[in-house]
Amino acid sequence: MQSLRRPQAFKRFASLTQDPLLTLALVLVVLFVAITIVFPLLSMIGEGFSPKGLPLFQRYLSDPVHLSIVTNTLVMGALVGLFGTAVGFLFAFVQVRLNVPFKRFMHIVALIPVISPPFAVATAAIVLFGRSGSISRGIFGVRYDIYGLDGLTLVMSLSFFTIAYLNLSGMMRALDPALDEAATNLGANKWRIFRTVTLPMLLPGIASSFLLLFVEAVADLGNPLVLGGNYEVLSTRIYVTVIGLYDTTGAAVLSLILLVPSLTVFIVQRYWISRTSVVSVTGKPSGTPQMINHPLVRWPLFGLTIAICLLILLIYGTIIHGAFIRVPGVRYDFTLEHFDFVLNGIGAQAIQDTTLLSILATPLAGLIGMVIAYLVVRKTFAGRNLLDFSTMLGIAVPGTVIGIGYVLSFNHPTTLTLPVLGEVTLLPQLTGGRGLLGGALAIIVVFIIRSVPAALRSGTAALSQIDPAIEEASISLGADNARTFRRITLPLIRPAFLAGLIYAFARSMTTISAVVFLTTPQTKIMTQQILNEVEHGRYGNAFAYCVILIVIVMVAISIMYVTVGSTTGAERRLEGGL
Amino acid sequence: MSQNNQEVRLKLENITKEFPDRGGSGTVKAVDDISLDICAGEFLTLLGPSGCGKTTTLRLIAGFENPTTGRILLDNQDVTPQPPNKRDMALVFQNYALFPHMSVFDNIAYGLQTQRVKRQDIQHRVNEALLMMGLQGLGDRRPNQLSGGQQQRVALARSLVVEPRILLFDEPLSNLDAKLRVQMRGEIHRLQRRLRITSVYVTHDQIEAMALSDRIVVMNAGKIEQIGTPSDIYHRPATRFVADFIGRANFVGVTVLSESAAGVEVEIFKRRVTVASSVRRDGAPLVAMLRSESLTLRHDPALPQVLVEQAMFLGSEVEYIVNTGSQQLVVVEQDPRGVHVVAEGETIGLDFVPEAVHLLPA
Ligand SMILES: Nc1ncnc2c1ncn2[C@@H]1O[C@H](COP(=O)(O)OP(=O)(O)OP(=O)(O)O)[C@@H](O)[C@H]1O
Ligand SMILES: [Mg+2]
Repeated sequence: MQSLRRPQAFKRFASLTQDPLLTLALVLVVLFVAITIVFPLLSMIGEGFSPKGLPLFQRYLSDPVHLSIVTNTLVMGALVGLFGTAVGFLFAFVQVRLNVPFKRFMHIVALIPVISPPFAVATAAIVLFGRSGSISRGIFGVRYDIYGLDGLTLVMSLSFFTIAYLNLSGMMRALDPALDEAATNLGANKWRIFRTVTLPMLLPGIASSFLLLFVEAVADLGNPLVLGGNYEVLSTRIYVTVIGLYDTTGAAVLSLILLVPSLTVFIVQRYWISRTSVVSVTGKPSGTPQMINHPLVRWPLFGLTIAICLLILLIYGTIIHGAFIRVPGVRYDFTLEHFDFVLNGIGAQAIQDTTLLSILATPLAGLIGMVIAYLVVRKTFAGRNLLDFSTMLGIAVPGTVIGIGYVLSFNHPTTLTLPVLGEVTLLPQLTGGRGLLGGALAIIVVFIIRSVPAALRSGTAALSQIDPAIEEASISLGADNARTFRRITLPLIRPAFLAGLIYAFARSMTTISAVVFLTTPQTKIMTQQILNEVEHGRYGNAFAYCVILIVIVMVAISIMYVTVGSTTGAERRLEGGL
Repeated sequence: MSQNNQEVRLKLENITKEFPDRGGSGTVKAVDDISLDICAGEFLTLLGPSGCGKTTTLRLIAGFENPTTGRILLDNQDVTPQPPNKRDMALVFQNYALFPHMSVFDNIAYGLQTQRVKRQDIQHRVNEALLMMGLQGLGDRRPNQLSGGQQQRVALARSLVVEPRILLFDEPLSNLDAKLRVQMRGEIHRLQRRLRITSVYVTHDQIEAMALSDRIVVMNAGKIEQIGTPSDIYHRPATRFVADFIGRANFVGVTVLSESAAGVEVEIFKRRVTVASSVRRDGAPLVAMLRSESLTLRHDPALPQVLVEQAMFLGSEVEYIVNTGSQQLVVVEQDPRGVHVVAEGETIGLDFVPEAVHLLPA
């Protein structure tokens, strides 16, 4: 696209502008992405490289304390990537290739972490395995120090492995079984096939899972805040720099340092690994994969997977159980006092605010994601790839970094000094207590930009499966672009739209790293309240919040399933009748 | 049928379409300076080898592509800047492009709903279309519950029901199996002759083109090679490319003896033939085209003798490859009695139908 000659590019743009509605949609999403994603990032970069920021770079990068924070971050990212991918691979392999019972159960357990609030797993791990944990101390009698790298790796691997699981199981299903059969024909045994055929074919998937988990891990704020102990990472350091020291410049510099590995890994994952993938997903597997029946492979892997499932259930059981007992891990008598505290205290407002803002953000995120996907896949215009990339930054950039960017950009009105008109206010103040709608607008926007990338990806994937001739048929029959999008495109990508909505709602309800800097006295966020309770050691209250949050998310998902429709039926057969 | 006294429905004026090529630096001319008049009620086919620009031309007409240069006029109105949904044309796609999430009825009704036709009228017209296409009783089905032929009929009905000024087809039969293709070909033919709807049809199948068309446009590398009736194209190809692309053609070198108002007198296979040729010679050398079926093999020592190199029995006919000593020729013999097969290696006399000789620039 970029290499198009100017007149051609202009002509194509002109053809796009033939439809005013399409032009309007394009202008709106470009403006949205520019203001809500690009602009805050640029402000942060500007602050980092300002005369105030530049000396800090030098200081941080020569000071052993800060250097060890950087190392800690990278080590943690690598370990989580490694273990999370391994667990994801195990689950995927057992699901796709092993002939074992309880597959459905394992699949559902693997999906549970998606809807969990950020501190839930970490707090449950403390209650179970910490210094006075009910398992470590209660059963084994050891005073195990879970705080630090080991605890973080365990908790984050269990929280994030779902990404690797979904990624790899999709790939394993798409692997052409004919390859295996060919190798078997040539006399290779199963282990040899696995080593020489299956594994190399999956290598891009494994690499991309590792990198995705790395990005998630280094960006995570919630777990290191609760479980880090003395093991400090960049995200927690940024948090302390803003919340404790009120030093936004220092935070911007640290954010820039964190941005380097995050963005590098993201770009490598997205533009290199995913390109070199040899697996072609045709949606038409030419057979069912051969099941592996060897008992020495089957039962140990099955046992390991079930053990991990039980661990996950134990953790979530602890969360629910802990919400109903006096002092989790210490006093086990039944009580509703935590729920009383949450529902009748300060928590009620947080629950209301968070749910309301999430409900507002969800359809917007889903729609914006689908519109951008439509424009990027179906229309040719200059800057198409740039729009896609900028949108993806909403999730590729760590939440803490986004948060700092918002504080730097929107804590004051955005003005522009023009020659004749003088100072013009482009945007009012958005963040902070005096921000628009008590800062709520900024929070909604953050919810949206953190969710749009997932909707965009699922929309893009769904759209590229649909023959463009189907949309052209509609246009040829006299429908304009808007009607075609509404009547043809959107119904056909409904499963992707639904997935986008579910993700958006779950993400909005559970996000912490970006909004933690944006909550105001007027607008309270549940995750922030949970953090508060955890920091004060009131685990029971935290668990009660988590239970309520999980219930809200599950109810919302059910409602979305009913109203938007499930993924069964004709929409899967998208090829236009073939 | 003469085109002159009919109104021109669609006019392409010097249409060129360039695409950026893969490298991104240069451009590919998919359509190269095409001018074309299509009359009301006419069935016109764009025929040519893969990649010659047929689909691109059709998409330019439909409005899915914008020409790099040139104009498109519909009933004397310039529609070049109009988006595809504003042009009163309907396109039938190669892979049908039915809406998979709608019933057959809703698929056919879609265009009418877009035109805001009244509900009862839609009901009525869709049912009529279903009946006409032999789809009665299938209105509630989803497209994926239909056979390929039925899907093609729905696609056709969906386009016909909006009564477009022009119907456009892009290889609509290429996804069907051979038998069904012949059957659908007959149906499209019947339907078009009955409704007399102006049609532009893209195919690379010459039989399909000849069976359906009033006129055929033979394209090559983005340019028009020849426009004419099927019989023109077959018997009087304007260029060697057209002769070669359509049917089985033999090219034989000729010696020009004389030229007169009656035609060109040439010597071919040691016989003198006068060909009423429209080819303007201007002294350039000529070549004769002889269709395989206008050559025959006969035991006759007076004829030039050829060696039969290969004999292939094709059912309704026998195809021979013979060698004259200077070149190979393809000869096709009809053999309804199933007795007359010349053996490979045999030497035999070669005769031809003098009226079938057609002269081309060499
Ligand atoms: N969108 C496009 N971008 C770049 N090149 C294109 C594009 N569409 C067509 N072309 C090129 O233009 C030329 C003509 O393509 P077109 O599809 O019109 O051929 P066709 O005659 O329909 O062939 P076929 O019989 O294979 O369908 C080809 O060389 C093709 O590669
Ligand atoms: Mg084509």
